[in-house]
Amino acid sequence: MVVAVKKGLDRVRELYQDRPQRAKELKAEGKKIIGYLCIYPVTEMMTALDLVPYRILGDMREPITKADHYLPTVVCPFLRSCLDLGLKGKYDFFDGVVTSHICDVGSSLSGIWNYSVKTPYHYHIDTPHTVHETSLEQLRSLLRAFQKSLEEFAGKKMGVGDLKKAIVLHNEQRALVRELYEFKKPDPPLISGAETLKVIKAIQSIPIAEGNALLREVIAELKTRTNKPAGKAARLMVWGSILDDTVLIEMVESLDANVVMDDTCVGSRPYFEDVPFTADPIDGLAHHYLVDIKCPRTFRTRDFFAARKNYMEDLKSRFSYLADYAREWKVNGVIVESVRYCDTHGYEVPGVRDYLKEVGLPSIYLEHDYTEGALAPLKTRVQGFLEIIG
Amino acid sequence: MTKVVIIDSASRIVTSVTHHTGAEHRRLANRVVEEALNKSGLSIGDIVYIIATGYGRINVPFADKQITELTCHARGVAYFFPDVRTAIDIGGQDAKGLKIKDGRLIDFVMSDKCAAGTGRFLEVIAHALGLKLEELGPISLKSTQKVSISSTCTVFAQQEVTNSLSMGVPLEDVVAGLHDAIASRVARMVRRLKVEPDVVFTGGVAKNTGVVKALEQNLGCPVLVPPEPLLSGAIGAALIARETVEKARAEGKPLPKQVRKLEEATFFK
Repeated sequence: MVVAVKKGLDRVRELYQDRPQRAKELKAEGKKIIGYLCIYPVTEMMTALDLVPYRILGDMREPITKADHYLPTVVCPFLRSCLDLGLKGKYDFFDGVVTSHICDVGSSLSGIWNYSVKTPYHYHIDTPHTVHETSLEQLRSLLRAFQKSLEEFAGKKMGVGDLKKAIVLHNEQRALVRELYEFKKPDPPLISGAETLKVIKAIQSIPIAEGNALLREVIAELKTRTNKPAGKAARLMVWGSILDDTVLIEMVESLDANVVMDDTCVGSRPYFEDVPFTADPIDGLAHHYLVDIKCPRTFRTRDFFAARKNYMEDLKSRFSYLADYAREWKVNGVIVESVRYCDTHGYEVPGVRDYLKEVGLPSIYLEHDYTEGALAPLKTRVQGFLEIIG
Repeated sequence: MTKVVIIDSASRIVTSVTHHTGAEHRRLANRVVEEALNKSGLSIGDIVYIIATGYGRINVPFADKQITELTCHARGVAYFFPDVRTAIDIGGQDAKGLKIKDGRLIDFVMSDKCAAGTGRFLEVIAHALGLKLEELGPISLKSTQKVSISSTCTVFAQQEVTNSLSMGVPLEDVVAGLHDAIASRVARMVRRLKVEPDVVFTGGVAKNTGVVKALEQNLGCPVLVPPEPLLSGAIGAALIARETVEKARAEGKPLPKQVRKLEEATFFK
């Protein structure tokens, strides 16, 4: 076994630059690597069968050349990039791919990947989009079917004990990420927004147990850190669609602002709620993935007709956690961002901004097109926003 | 365009200069400042504080501070129109809508990544029609039946213009259609801010009476234009510079200044 010599944030930077490094080593040792798209495939089940979950991400520095034969250019450039990397063989070390119904483009991509990239094992969880009891029941049955399929692929059974142990391990990761975010509460924070994104991207590229060890190293390092970020006038929170590259956060942090909190999926979103322990672990998993994770892909309004009567109450029930984040992390402005053509996040933007306004948090909406260039106009916007709130 | 405005301690405009920026002049902001100094008989040492703004704000090595054109425009517009609540700026690069309260910027919208709805759109098409930019406004006012031109793309709009002319549509109706295309696109964007009067229109395109009229029609309210619509950003920068100096003096704090080199920006080499 190759022993990683780098530790803590150095190791994070190494994995950020070369994500598949560890997964490829593990594959050479005979482990099976499962790529998963977005945060909805139930990775606990992969860990329970000793499979290695590896998050599929895009690469905004790699021009999209092959995916345009399969997906139109007017859909999510992040998903187009993911498919492009798959078609170019960048994910050839996968033994399997698991997708879920995150959005319509994501689901189409699942099918396209299945017949064009041809990873040996392929599974799609048709995760429902509402939080009603019938949806929960549906997801429970979908997860049982997924479990069966995964067991066949792994060639072994997943005992209830195995799954519970995996949930404990994954919850440990969630707790460690929350501990990491505690270091963002002081002013100046002990870890920048860009560094935080790198940590999360790193742990989504290695097995959970190794990610937990890495998080412990990073946390230990932060406790005695001297080269922490500089103090800035603004403490910002970023809400929105996927940011899997640091360019946008770095642009913001090059101005008079630190990004001290986020609600994004290479960020706090998958980690701020634990999977509840239930007698049948499937119950807890279904609840977590449908109700607890707060991504706009799930329509979280429980009573549609009541919501129509009181808009602000509906917003409060959906977004009050953002006000909690803002209070705890002493946020004085919010960047609401969405990658271009992300209808899922786009539809949520007016509601999020209305809610933020109601609770007195200034916000700015940025739409970006998943490239590392073209940041100058966005920079002017962010700087203008900082001048307003400053 | 590169603009320089020098004001005195009573906020009176001492001198102003406007020049084409061009590829070469992007690193030659110093020359424009030198010209303004010569024109006013001042030396660089007489200038207490310099603020750079706009897309080129990072290309001014002798500026003490950079502030976005959003904040500077708002301040400059409020200098001429204290009751302004909504400002619309259409320049060569982009179009902006500003929400202003008590002379200060409180919200904004900006167009991005496209020339449609900017001054460049008119420049391109004026060139195609063989007209001078300043001729467009007066010609369009003669129109009796403007044509409808799609406002989504400069290149396609140019094709539509050619097509309309070859069908025998009078020139003034085509030009009026162009002005309506730009005005309706910008009005759509600015409505996101909830337009409130007074509405002030600045930027180079505000010199075009045809677009002013089209904007009034699209917004359904009067649109005010300052005497020098190109200068509002630079005037705003100068006013903020004066405030910065006064604030520092009142608080007895040193000015947040930088070492001043009135020379070319070196990072282009």
